[in-house]
Order: sequence, then C-alpha cells, then structure tokens
Amino acid sequence: MAQFLLMSKENYKKFQARPSCRTGNEGWDGFEREGHNMDFFKNIGVLITNEKYMGMLLEGLGKTLLISVFAAVLGLLLGTLVAMVGLSEGKFSKIPKAICKVYVTVIRGTPMALQLFIMAYAIFAIRGFPKEITAILAFGINSGAYVSESIRGGILSVDIGQTEAGRALGLGRGTTMRKIVIPQAIKNVIPAIGNELIALIKETSIVSMIGMYDLTQAAKVIGAGNNMASYIVPMSVAACFYLAIVYLLTFVIKKIETRLRASDKR
Amino acid sequence: MISANNIYKDFGKLHVLTGVSCEIRDGEKVAIIGPSGSGKSTFLRCLNLLEEPTSGEIWLGDKLITGVDAYLHPDIIRQSRTYAAMTENGVSDKEAVEKIISDRLLKKREGKNFKSSVKEFEKANRTDINLARREMGMVFQHFNLFNNMTVMQNLTLAPVQLGLKTKAEAEQAALALLRRIGLEDKANVYPATLSGGQKQRIAIVRSLAMNPKVMLFDEPTSALDPEMVGEVLDLIKELADDGMTMVIVTHEMGFAREVADRVIFMSDGVITEEGTPAELFDSPKNPRTQQFLKCVL
Ligand SMILES: Nc1ncnc2c1ncn2[C@@H]1O[C@H](COP(=O)(O)OP(=O)(O)OP(=O)(O)O)[C@@H](O)[C@H]1O
Ligand SMILES: [Mg+2]
Repeated sequence: MAQFLLMSKENYKKFQARPSCRTGNEGWDGFEREGHNMDFFKNIGVLITNEKYMGMLLEGLGKTLLISVFAAVLGLLLGTLVAMVGLSEGKFSKIPKAICKVYVTVIRGTPMALQLFIMAYAIFAIRGFPKEITAILAFGINSGAYVSESIRGGILSVDIGQTEAGRALGLGRGTTMRKIVIPQAIKNVIPAIGNELIALIKETSIVSMIGMYDLTQAAKVIGAGNNMASYIVPMSVAACFYLAIVYLLTFVIKKIETRLRASDKR
Repeated sequence: MISANNIYKDFGKLHVLTGVSCEIRDGEKVAIIGPSGSGKSTFLRCLNLLEEPTSGEIWLGDKLITGVDAYLHPDIIRQSRTYAAMTENGVSDKEAVEKIISDRLLKKREGKNFKSSVKEFEKANRTDINLARREMGMVFQHFNLFNNMTVMQNLTLAPVQLGLKTKAEAEQAALALLRRIGLEDKANVYPATLSGGQKQRIAIVRSLAMNPKVMLFDEPTSALDPEMVGEVLDLIKELADDGMTMVIVTHEMGFAREVADRVIFMSDGVITEEGTPAELFDSPKNPRTQQFLKCVL
C-alpha cells in the first residue's frame, strides 16, 4: 500500500499495466479500472447498485447483526447476574462471588481474539457445530464481564445513604435494591453499557478469523483477488454500514438517557 | 424500650465502641453529645443495626435484635464445655463464670449443650431486624430522601411496600403529615428542588409515616444552613412534646438542654458521663466532660 502511494504517475501507469494486476479481477467485473482512485465515488455507486456485491455485503451485515444482538442480550443478562452476585453478601455467596471474580479477571485480562479461538478451536471444536453459536457465546461471555463491571460501578455510585434510609424504614435488601438503588443506578450505567454495545458490534469484525462471513469479511471477499486500490471501495461501504449502526445506537441511547434524566427533575 | 448491653464495635483494627451500655425508657428523650470521632454515630447506628455490633446485645422491648452474646448470660455460660472443665477442677461457679466472661474463653469450640442453649435462647427472644426497624425511625445528617421519587412517593413507599397500608391510605396519611409541616404543596416535587430544611422535615415525617415507637436522630441539623436549623429543631421539639421516645446525637447544646431528659457524654468509645441536662451541663464531674463543654459552650 505504502509503495503504491509513493509511486510517481508514470510508474503507476506501468504498475497498472502489469499483467499480474489484471489477473484475479473477477470481483470487479464492470468496474472502472483506469484511474480508479479518481473515480472512487463513481465506483462506490457501481458497487451499491450491483446486486451481487450488495447481496454479499447485506448477508455479511446480517451475520454481524445476528452475532451482535444475541451476544449483547447474553452479555447484559450475564453481566447483571455477575454484578448481583458480586454485590451480594452472606455466607452462601462466597464461592459464587469468587467464581465471578475469576471470570471478570480472566475475560478482561485476555485478548478477545484469543477467547474466540479457544471457543472455536478448543471448546466447540466439534465438526458441524454452528459457528454463529460459538461466536455469540464468545462475544456474550466477553461482553458480560465488562457489563458486570459497569453495573457494579453504577450501583456502587449510588449514595450508600439511600440504601441506609431504605433499610432503616424496615425495607428488605431486595426491595431497597429494586425500588431505590437500581432506578438511580440505571442512569449512571446506561452510557457505559452503550459504549460496551458499540464496542461489541465493532469487535465482532474479528469473527472472520474463525472463518465466518460477517460484514468485514464480505468486504474483504469483494475486494480480494484484485489490485490493492480496489479494497478501498467495499471497505468504505462496509465502514459506512458500521457507522450507521453505531450512529443509530448512539442516538437511541441518548434518547433513553434524556428520558431517564428528565424523570427525576420537574 | 431499647437497651444496649455492653456494645463493642470494631472497624478492622480500630476499636470504635468499647463496652457501651445504656437503656432508653419509653417516652424518654436522650441526647448524646461528645467530641468528633468518639463513636456517637456508630452507637446510634448500632441501635437499629445499620452497623452490626462486634459483640453485645441490643434489645427492643423484650425482643433481641442482635445475635446472642453468650458472655452476657451466665446461664448460657454454664452450659459450656469450658465451664464444665473449670468446675471439674474445683473452681467455684462464680469464679468460673467471671473468668470466662473476662477472658472471653468461649471463642474456642464449645459443646453441643452450649450451642443448643444459645439457639434456644435466640429462638425464644430474637426478632427479625426488618420488623424491628419498622418501630425505629431514623433521621440522617444528610436527609437521604430517595432522589428517584417524589415527596409523596418517599412518604408512601415503605408503608405500602410492607403491606401496612393501601396506597390510598398511605397517601392520605402522607398528606396529613405534609400538612402538619406546611409542605403539602411539595407533595409532587422531587427532592432535588427542595431546601435543606424542607428535606430534613420531610425525612422526619417519612419516618413518622411508619408510626415508629422511637426516633433516632443523627445530627439532624449539622448539614443545614443556619437559618434552617430552627425549623427542623422546632419540629423535633414538637415530636418530643407529643411524647415520642427519642435518641438525638447533636452538637446543639442549647437544644439538648431544652429537650432532653437525659444527656449522655461519649468519648473514646465509651459513655464517660451521663445525667440530667442540669447535672451534665452545669456541674460535670468528669474532666473529659468539663474540657469538652468548656470548648463548645
Ligand atoms: N464504616 C466505617 N469504617 C471504618 N471506620 C469507621 C466507619 N464508620 C466510622 N468509623 C470510624 O469510627 C470512629 C467513630 O466514628 P463516628 O462517626 O461514630 O464518630 P462521631 O462521634 O459520630 O463523630 P462526629 O461528631 O464527627 O459525627 C471514627 O474514627 C471513624 O473514622
Ligand atoms: Mg457522627
């Protein structure tokens, strides 16, 4: 790539004329090849009106969304559970608490790609096991660790006086939590959870490493086998898809946040 | 009403309370004064178990709300293996009990008899802390109104959640309480919009909504601007005149003298001196008390 950028115009023309550059161009039938860096926008237009390529991208997008949504649900459930166990007290919660602590430490302390590999090539190394489930579990479990920390932090950030006032009135632990602490914690937790979901969606792009066909992989396949500059078009379109999802999610989170904040002042 | 027997409280290595005993009778108004860090708040919070005493017992009426402290019950001590071993070796009953209490010898493993008698005692006398807390209102220095609820919701949450009143009954009672403090118009606002004095008065009536038998106040006016102290103290005085039993930790000496039947002076985790306001303020006997009062009066 860098070499390409440093080329003079003549060299570049020669470079383009090389036979090797013209091979393996199946992915780009019908595309303007001459001077394509000038025609970037034109090529984008060609790509998004091309049914075959758009179909490939949308298929990848579908997979990305499938993994993200289910992993997010799993992560939220797991995170809430782990946070609750972490904050519970009493002699019966010692062992579950220790397990949760190890879980959070290990997940947060190791790379996501490695967790995905272990899931795919060690735990679910079963022929024919659906890769979607492997990925959902890997990302859900990863996300759960971060979500649990956010929730824990959100609950701890509620003034202890609120809990004490509830308990002093004779309310039980659970009621105090449900009616007083959690409603106040949610406001503090929503932004962090939102960030986690955004990170999760983007992080799912590494599923291509276990041979899955998500949005990023689709863009790569479309661009593959071509001269280097061709990657930029499908990759840019894929990037726009990611951006759109993240933008939409950000918007929804902001809406939820303002609504929650509006309810405590009048 | 409430009796605290030999309360010890440690925070890690810090011994905050070292043997506090005190009895609060029905209708009595007790003020607790003392230097900062002497354990006043900790003691007050032990009374409704917001802090769990390290040892000692709290009784509310004839109900035990802490665990059983075997060292306070010679009858239970006599069931122990340690006691049996001592008397076998010719130690007299009285000496054995005293030695066990003073040396806290029961911390080692004890016999079955002993354990079952502790359990029996507990079964016969102990009550659930959540039930006990319904009878003890508590007012905090920083009000602690529920920020996510309107004033009305603050007042009705506990009675409704605990099934003591229907929503309609609770709201009616809450309105009556708000009327009493002249804040009915604030029923539907959130605490964030209220002044400190208003918050504290609402916190007080929130406790009253549970019809408690005793009220605990932990420096109810310390976080208020001076011009709001009066309204809160007036409300507390009103409660006192109605015959409410109360324990008040306070730095307002004038108020303590006026309202209290008994004043307790605490320092370094023990009750150093107690007596009527006249005795304690006018002729303190203990040098610690004299020194403290010289500084604050
Ligand atoms: N939760 C806690 N953990 C550790 N130490 C504590 C805790 N609560 C209180 N302490 C310590 O216990 C000691 C007594 O505190 P306490 O609040 O009972 O004092 P106080 O007499 O109420 O003082 P003040 O007049 O300042 O309110 C202090 O040294 C304090 O730092
Ligand atoms: Mg205090």
